[in-house]
Amino acid sequence: MATTSNRGGDRGAQVRLWVAEHAAALGVRVTVQLLCETAVARLGMSGIALTLRTSLDWSETRHCTDLLAGRLAELQVTVGEGPCMDAQAAGGPVLVADLDAPENQRRWPLFAPLAFEAGAGALFALPLCVGAVRVGVLALHQIRATWLEPATVTDSLAFAALTLRLLLDEQADLPSSDGEWEQGLPLHDPQLHQATGMVAAQLNVGMRDAFVRLRARAFAAHRPLIEVATDVVARRLRFESE
Amino acid sequence: MGDERLVETFVELADTLTADFDVIDFLHVLVDRCVKLFDVDAAGLLLAAPDGKLQLIASSNDQVRVLELFQLQNDQGPCLDAFATGRTTSNADLANAGQRWPRFSAAATDAGFAAVDAIPMRLRNDVIGALNLFRVRPGSLPDQVLRTACALADVATIGLLQERSIRHQEIITEQLQRALNSRVLIEQAKGLIAERLHIDMDGAFAALRGYARGNNLKLSAVADAVIAGRTSTYDLLGTPTPPHQPKR
Repeated sequence: MATTSNRGGDRGAQVRLWVAEHAAALGVRVTVQLLCETAVARLGMSGIALTLRTSLDWSETRHCTDLLAGRLAELQVTVGEGPCMDAQAAGGPVLVADLDAPENQRRWPLFAPLAFEAGAGALFALPLCVGAVRVGVLALHQIRATWLEPATVTDSLAFAALTLRLLLDEQADLPSSDGEWEQGLPLHDPQLHQATGMVAAQLNVGMRDAFVRLRARAFAAHRPLIEVATDVVARRLRFESE
Repeated sequence: MGDERLVETFVELADTLTADFDVIDFLHVLVDRCVKLFDVDAAGLLLAAPDGKLQLIASSNDQVRVLELFQLQNDQGPCLDAFATGRTTSNADLANAGQRWPRFSAAATDAGFAAVDAIPMRLRNDVIGALNLFRVRPGSLPDQVLRTACALADVATIGLLQERSIRHQEIITEQLQRALNSRVLIEQAKGLIAERLHIDMDGAFAALRGYARGNNLKLSAVADAVIAGRTSTYDLLGTPTPPHQPKR
């Protein structure tokens, strides 16, 4: 059956392939910069900005594919509102097909007029997060107002998932080896997140650090992440403060 | 099946146009009502993530073994079949299911379940997930019950997908993605609570839900507050037990 919803399985693999092809063509490693550039080309976007959350209320721009992307990111920080901030807070995408539409001008009275004036028609903010672990936001823009086709939505989310993965590997200081990269993190398994919560309590740290420690432990022991998580949930494994 | 409660449930599930609509809380209503109305022993609802994997969004029972049953269905099981085909998939006797879903049947039997029905969450050509009903005794659900359960799943799906405005496709994406992340947030909070209070995951979820209901808050909001330290883990226990306890 053709559905918009369960087409996703192949799209993640397709997006990984696009990124790998692009990297091979340029003879470079897969970086967030390369991911953003591949996404612009494949999704038919005008540009992309990747902003990272550095602390509770602060974010910094990690990469912009063009001037307007940087300008849009900067604007939101300056006026203190915008789709990226809402996406970060909600933990879900905020898709704005027309920045000049009255409801969007009302929703962001400071940001929307300035963004439109700066030349942006549409802005799609995709948060990069694992529950309470809020890593950053991928912001895709179009100079014209435009709806996102369902297929483009799916591919955009796949690009976001890949970017998240790369950033999580960076945070955990783990190499994105090919094998693991293909496998993906077992983010669908509730036990991984339960274990993260338990480790956060054991070490008295935040979810982000707990997740990093969990992954580092699995990597050091050469064990699958989900096995280590299962041991934590079964209370066979405890983390101690160093 | 009490007719009056059934009608109430239909109305409840159709009422999704409220400003503070929350996918997770809404789907918890669905699984809880299934357990109460249809004489099933556990119910769970899985939605497809953008990568096509099924993710548990709501379950009436949060014991680890039950959760594993849902998780396993990314490889095999009735939910995966219902999701892939868009048709209801049932097995009335899992202990003798043979080769259909060997790993799933073994795990379900281990967890004490003898029969299962999986109902797709479907509207026209969109299948967004599936509802699992588990029973401890073998045997088929009466036709009328199964039809009613399907109708409930349909109403819930329509509720989720209904055209709220011209940009409904965007809204669906926004809401479902947010729900998937909220679910992760809730699991992280359960781990934190379980560890701090020395209780199991089921107890942690009951505490979270009891507090959310007692204070008229969304589950994900309470989970977020606990993780951020705005709500103390110990406060969760201070709330009286809610009147509706999920059936175990």
